[in-house]
Amino acid sequence: MNASTWFTLRPQRGTTTVRDLLTPAQIRCLGVLLLAAQLPQAPHLPIWVAATGIMLVGLRIVLLRRDRLRPQAPPARIPSWALAVFAVAAALAVRASFGYLAGRDPSVAFLYILVAIKFLETRSTRDGTLLICLACFLLVTPFFYSQSPLAAIVVLPAVLGVGVALDALTCNRTALPAFDWRSALRRSAVMILQGLPVAALLFVLFPRLAAPLWGLPSDYGAQSGLSDSMSPGQISELSLSDAVAFRVDFDGPVPPPALRYWRGPVFSRFDGRTWSPGPFMLRGGVLPVEGPVVTYTVTLEPNHRRSLFALDLPVALPVFSGGAAPLIGAPYITIDQQLLMRAPMGAESLRYSQQSVLRSRFPAMSSLESRANLGVGEGNPRTLALAAQLRALHPDDSAYIGAILEKFTREDFVYTLAPPLFERDPVDLFLFGERRGFCEHYASAFVLLLRAAGIPARVVTGYQGGAVNPRGGYMIVRQSDAHAWAEAMIGGQWQRYDPTAAVAPSRIELGLGGALSAGEPVPFLARLDATWLTGVQLAWDAFNHDWRRNFIDFNRDRQRSLWRDWRLDQFAPWQVVALIALTIFAWGAMVVGWLMWKRRHQERALVLWDDLNRRLARAGLPRQPHEGPLAFASRAAQRWPQFAIAFAAIGESFAELRYGSVPVARERDALVATLERAIDVLPAPAALRTTH
Amino acid sequence: MSVVADAVAIGADASGWLARMRQRAFRHAPSDHTAVVLRHSRIYLLPTRRGWAVIGTLLLMLLASLNYALALGMAVTFLLAGLVAAAQLHTFRNLAGIEITPLAAGETFAGGNLEFALALHAGAAARTGIIVHSANARAGGDIAAGQALTISLAVDAPKRGRVALGRVTLTTMHPFGLWRGWAYVHFLLTGIVFPAAEIGAPPLPRGHGGTDPAALGRSDNADLAGLREFQRGDPPQRVAWKAVARGAGWYSKEFDGAGGGGPVTLAWSDLPPTLPVEERLSRLTAWVLAAERAACPFALQLPGMQLASRQGRDHRREALTALAEYPEDGSA
Repeated sequence: MNASTWFTLRPQRGTTTVRDLLTPAQIRCLGVLLLAAQLPQAPHLPIWVAATGIMLVGLRIVLLRRDRLRPQAPPARIPSWALAVFAVAAALAVRASFGYLAGRDPSVAFLYILVAIKFLETRSTRDGTLLICLACFLLVTPFFYSQSPLAAIVVLPAVLGVGVALDALTCNRTALPAFDWRSALRRSAVMILQGLPVAALLFVLFPRLAAPLWGLPSDYGAQSGLSDSMSPGQISELSLSDAVAFRVDFDGPVPPPALRYWRGPVFSRFDGRTWSPGPFMLRGGVLPVEGPVVTYTVTLEPNHRRSLFALDLPVALPVFSGGAAPLIGAPYITIDQQLLMRAPMGAESLRYSQQSVLRSRFPAMSSLESRANLGVGEGNPRTLALAAQLRALHPDDSAYIGAILEKFTREDFVYTLAPPLFERDPVDLFLFGERRGFCEHYASAFVLLLRAAGIPARVVTGYQGGAVNPRGGYMIVRQSDAHAWAEAMIGGQWQRYDPTAAVAPSRIELGLGGALSAGEPVPFLARLDATWLTGVQLAWDAFNHDWRRNFIDFNRDRQRSLWRDWRLDQFAPWQVVALIALTIFAWGAMVVGWLMWKRRHQERALVLWDDLNRRLARAGLPRQPHEGPLAFASRAAQRWPQFAIAFAAIGESFAELRYGSVPVARERDALVATLERAIDVLPAPAALRTTH
Repeated sequence: MSVVADAVAIGADASGWLARMRQRAFRHAPSDHTAVVLRHSRIYLLPTRRGWAVIGTLLLMLLASLNYALALGMAVTFLLAGLVAAAQLHTFRNLAGIEITPLAAGETFAGGNLEFALALHAGAAARTGIIVHSANARAGGDIAAGQALTISLAVDAPKRGRVALGRVTLTTMHPFGLWRGWAYVHFLLTGIVFPAAEIGAPPLPRGHGGTDPAALGRSDNADLAGLREFQRGDPPQRVAWKAVARGAGWYSKEFDGAGGGGPVTLAWSDLPPTLPVEERLSRLTAWVLAAERAACPFALQLPGMQLASRQGRDHRREALTALAEYPEDGSA
């Protein structure tokens, strides 16, 4: 228990009084806050910026230490003009490093250094306040670059530090009590915990923006995933990666593996080696197909490409949710039924909800499609000869296609992730030479054979499969699920054919790990033999996915739908405001009530006294409201004369504790002990009631 | 006619209501008689300058987070906003429940400090960083839970007369200095400021009860004649304190022939008529003090009031109070 301390303060005049100067302990505290705020930002900055900022803060702390060790020496001071020069130099260096200054990233870097420079000349409490505000802002900037769970955890010490620094600054104003790390930390933690309900309420209810107020910087990184063209060896290389392409949350049951064809780039043009998009990248439209609709939400990992993926066949335009969505503009469906955005994806992941009807057959959108999907390119003469030969045997389109698929099944074709490199006439070399290939080889050969026979056909790339994460109930589609298949037009309808399925049927049912022979370089997570490491990886992936789905992507649409779920949209605005006000009020009452209870509880004498009052009331002697401790004790002593001594001790010690002035803590403790012992002497209320 | 009367009545009513609200809000008039326990209706909370700075920063952080759709940025912003909100409650709680009791008003001479005593009772909670201030006096500190503290506010008293303590403000910025919580208390507590004694005032007028003109001629005071046993009622100025201190017993000093001239009369009308009012009062004050120091009974005659010749602490106080309360314009 702290004793009371009281000062008569004399109002001081002048610009900077002693009271306004920061003590070394306070400056140290601010320094620690700054370091905690700089740390999460440092990995996202050029190394020289990160190091300079941290070193400047460290320099001030070292100078403080020097001052303490040599109190006679004049305090170390760095002149303000030197700091100003340094700030200008830092601005120029940042400009030189980034190439520009008026942008988000250079601004963050400059702020980072500026805060440290300000710290070097921090002397008054006003400087301290400014520094705390700057540090607060520095807490937001790391999230420009990463919003992972780790980024959230790393920033927490600094949040705690803001409370500690504020506490340290106030110690100055009242000139007491002396700053104490541990109690300041505890106070800060308690207040943050008490503020949590308000924070949660604000997070859920504070309206998000539908569109950004000012432009976001476009930041293009390396592209990954399926490319805009297909040449032999490309997809097999991609399939070596465990990286996640996208994750899917299904609204209903998950479709069976054989129907999980995620449609991506469609290729119509062939030059004999490389497949590239045809003329049908133009805006088409949603085809009127019938069937049960599957609804799901895709979280696409950033790949800096324009393609979106949907189960074959998408029957609606994707609906974006997320802050970056409006910049990309409305996506569209091309004539060959692929989903495209107007601009490549940024550095942030993208969420969109999508509807599909699981069909392998759908009508062609344009009559031109049949003519444009017949080119056979240059070379591959043996393949063309084979086509002519087979066509003569099977004039019927279906029979011809069946014959080709049978050829793949019957003959010794091998499905492998490590196909040989085919330089010239790749289809010829594959069909008549090595006979070892990955899905792109089979799809390419299949389509070429069809085209050579006059059947319009095209290559569709995308992903096939995807594994449901048992920990999160959502599907992960990895780069190792990348796939290529074919579509042929028969009777005005596009029909999907997967020649790979003819060679390795288990690829479709079990995925890559089930289709390849032992010794193939199957990516770790695509293997079927799950180890505990796979489990850990899946659990971590589930946590990350939940983190992003429920926290990071809690945007305007998610917020609105949550409000709908809570039926908030049915209330009038004033009702919502009243509800929020009521909630805040209830929270305030709770915290204040808790504070009162806690503080009363801390006062041992009061607790004992309250307890005694309850006991005596039960024994038939309630204390009158006007009765002081001495009067009440003497009345009790009259009622129970055998305990007169105990009652006298109780009354006197409590009155002394409560109304006397006992400044020494040890004496107070002794009085509390006396009170406690005297109360212990008394029997239970029931026994007291029967005593006379 | 009646319409006008009604309008006047309504106007008076409205202004009365306004005045009542203003009194409730700002406590300009002394209205608190006994102990006041600070409750929510008296406590005001507003952000301090630091509070505004932090709130402004939070708004900036919110703007940046909203624009870039940074859920984590928003989470950190709201976490700190929760901290600010919790700090507000703590500031409120630091004041709520304090019991403040008017104890006593002091007295002083013009130019000195008038001390007022107040008792602060912490109640169940410990109070940190409470500052109590009136117009120009400040005191502050901590109060431990369950403890009562007597504090004194020293108010500057440049002029004689009755001086009220005025409105007292209890302020706290604990914890974090983000919020300033304050409450007004206005007690009916007035102290009295006596006129300042004239420096270098002429000696006391001669007494009129003297029996020895020769002694009178020599000195205004009497000569020490000897000691006699102390009797109840002897003025303290005549106690032989040296003898008491030696442990020799209680004696009173006796003076020869009451040469001090006996009781004096300090009369307003005896002063030079050209002397301004305040200077007259200062001189009379100086004489009252001199007479009391000399343990000489005195009578005070002011226009419109008379004090019979007596001696002692109460008499002195009565005389000084009469001088302090002498109307300023001189019209008694």
